[in-house]
Order: sequence, then C-alpha cells, then structure tokens
Amino acid sequence: MKNPEFVLSTVLAIVITFVIAIWVPGEGTVKVKLAICYAGLVLLFLFGFLILAGIASGKIDISQLLAESGGGASMSRFQLLIFTFVIGLSFFLIVVSTGKFPNPIPTEVLTLLGISATTYGVSKGIQATGGLAGKAGTTAGNGGQGNGGGRDGGQAGGH
Amino acid sequence: MRTLATLAYWEGIILLGGFLGVVLWKLLTGGISLEQLLEGDAQDPNSADGYSTYVSGGRTQLLGATLFVAGYYLLRVIHNPKQFPTLPTELVGALAGSQALYLGGKARALLQGRVQQFFNRRMP
Repeated sequence: MKNPEFVLSTVLAIVITFVIAIWVPGEGTVKVKLAICYAGLVLLFLFGFLILAGIASGKIDISQLLAESGGGASMSRFQLLIFTFVIGLSFFLIVVSTGKFPNPIPTEVLTLLGISATTYGVSKGIQATGGLAGKAGTTAGNGGQGNGGGRDGGQAGGH
Repeated sequence: MRTLATLAYWEGIILLGGFLGVVLWKLLTGGISLEQLLEGDAQDPNSADGYSTYVSGGRTQLLGATLFVAGYYLLRVIHNPKQFPTLPTELVGALAGSQALYLGGKARALLQGRVQQFFNRRMP
C-alpha cells in the first residue's frame, strides 16, 4: 500500500460517521446531518494535515512552486500565490465573523482572482510560444543551473 | 452544532495558518527560491542557448502593484471582517493595467525575434 495514512483517514471518518449515526441520541435526520458534517470535517482535516506535514517534512517537495520555465522565479506564479492566500484568508475571516457563507460572492473577489489567474495562464502561453521550455531542456542537459532551474523548467513547461 | 462550528473554526485556523506558515517559512529560508524574480528572459541570438536575462521594469511594477492591492484588500478585511470589502474600480483597473504591462513586456522580449523572423521569411 503506497499511502496507508490516507486510507486510515478515510476509515476513521467512516467510523466516526457510524458512531454518530448509531450511538448519539436525537432525531434521525439531525443525526444524519451531524454524521455527514463530522465525517467531512475529519476527512478534510486529516487529508489537509497529512499534506501539510508532508510539505513541512520535505516529503512533498514545493521548492519549485514559483519556478519558471527558463529557471528563476516566476512573477506570474508569485502574484497568483499572494492573491490566493489573501482571498483565502479574507474568506475565512468573514465566515468566522459572520457565522455564515458569504452569498453572493462579490464580483471584486472574482475579478481579482480572474485577473491574477489569467495573467498566469497568458504568461505560460507566451513562454511556450517563445520556446523557453526548449531553453530549460538545454539547461537540464548541461547539468542544470545553480538552483536547479533546468528541472524546474521541464516541470513548469508541462503545465 | 456548536461543537461542530468550533471544530470547523480550529480546523480552518490550523490548515490555513499551517499552509501560509509553511510557504512563508520556505520563502524566508530559501526553500522556495525567489532568485531572478525581477529578471526577465529575452531572445538573444548572441547567447549560447539563444536567451539572456535582463532586469525587467514590468516585473518590478507588477510586484509593487500586487503587494499594494493585496495589502490594501487584507487591511480592509481586517478592519471590517463582516463582509467582503468593495474595491475602487480605479484600483482594479490599475492592477489589470499593471498585469497587461507585464505580459506585454514579456511577449515583446520573447516573441519579437520570432515575429520578425516570420515576416522576413514571408517578405524577403
């Protein structure tokens, strides 16, 4: 088994669902809602935590998160990362403060993320058309740059 | 139901904070490289691999615009976390313009040679 921790998390979530559905007193429909909510929360937390622990321990390598096809850091990836974190954090703060899901999601939020993601996409298109992936391949063949730019390029160019 | 809300609250804090913290930590310690963030690639026939790097004004202004808009938005949310803040249209337009400038500069640096080659082949 390649990833036993993910299987264990799923099993744990299913067990919690059954425990709530069978032993917790209350009305049937409420119990079903509670069981699904708790199972979803536990599953999300365990999956998220496993990924977080993998990143922190280095098992999941994110060193090329901002790498560009030709080596070096990508500005389009960097700005997308910043906006994703800012919007995610804002969303969390608002849900915690109001206790409900914001409805509708304002157009400003979608516009910001849209502009940011479009820039990333267009930037990738320009790189591919400009032949930067070829440069990355050449670099990899020569043993790569100081920060492993050649390998980064190969990965980034594939997206 | 109150336990469920508390659980979701702490889960959000741990996961979101954790991901933010790990990425920030790796950015600060060099685990995620920011090398050449402000340098662009341009086609260069004199270079061995056909490309050279240059300090890009487009990237620099985009970094400034991004940090300004992201900081402004986050401060507005922290100031009033009851609703998503409204952004002035001028600010969104400025951000879009900044991104367009960056993309235009990048396209010019990477594609100008190719476009010229294309027209030279068509119209000798």
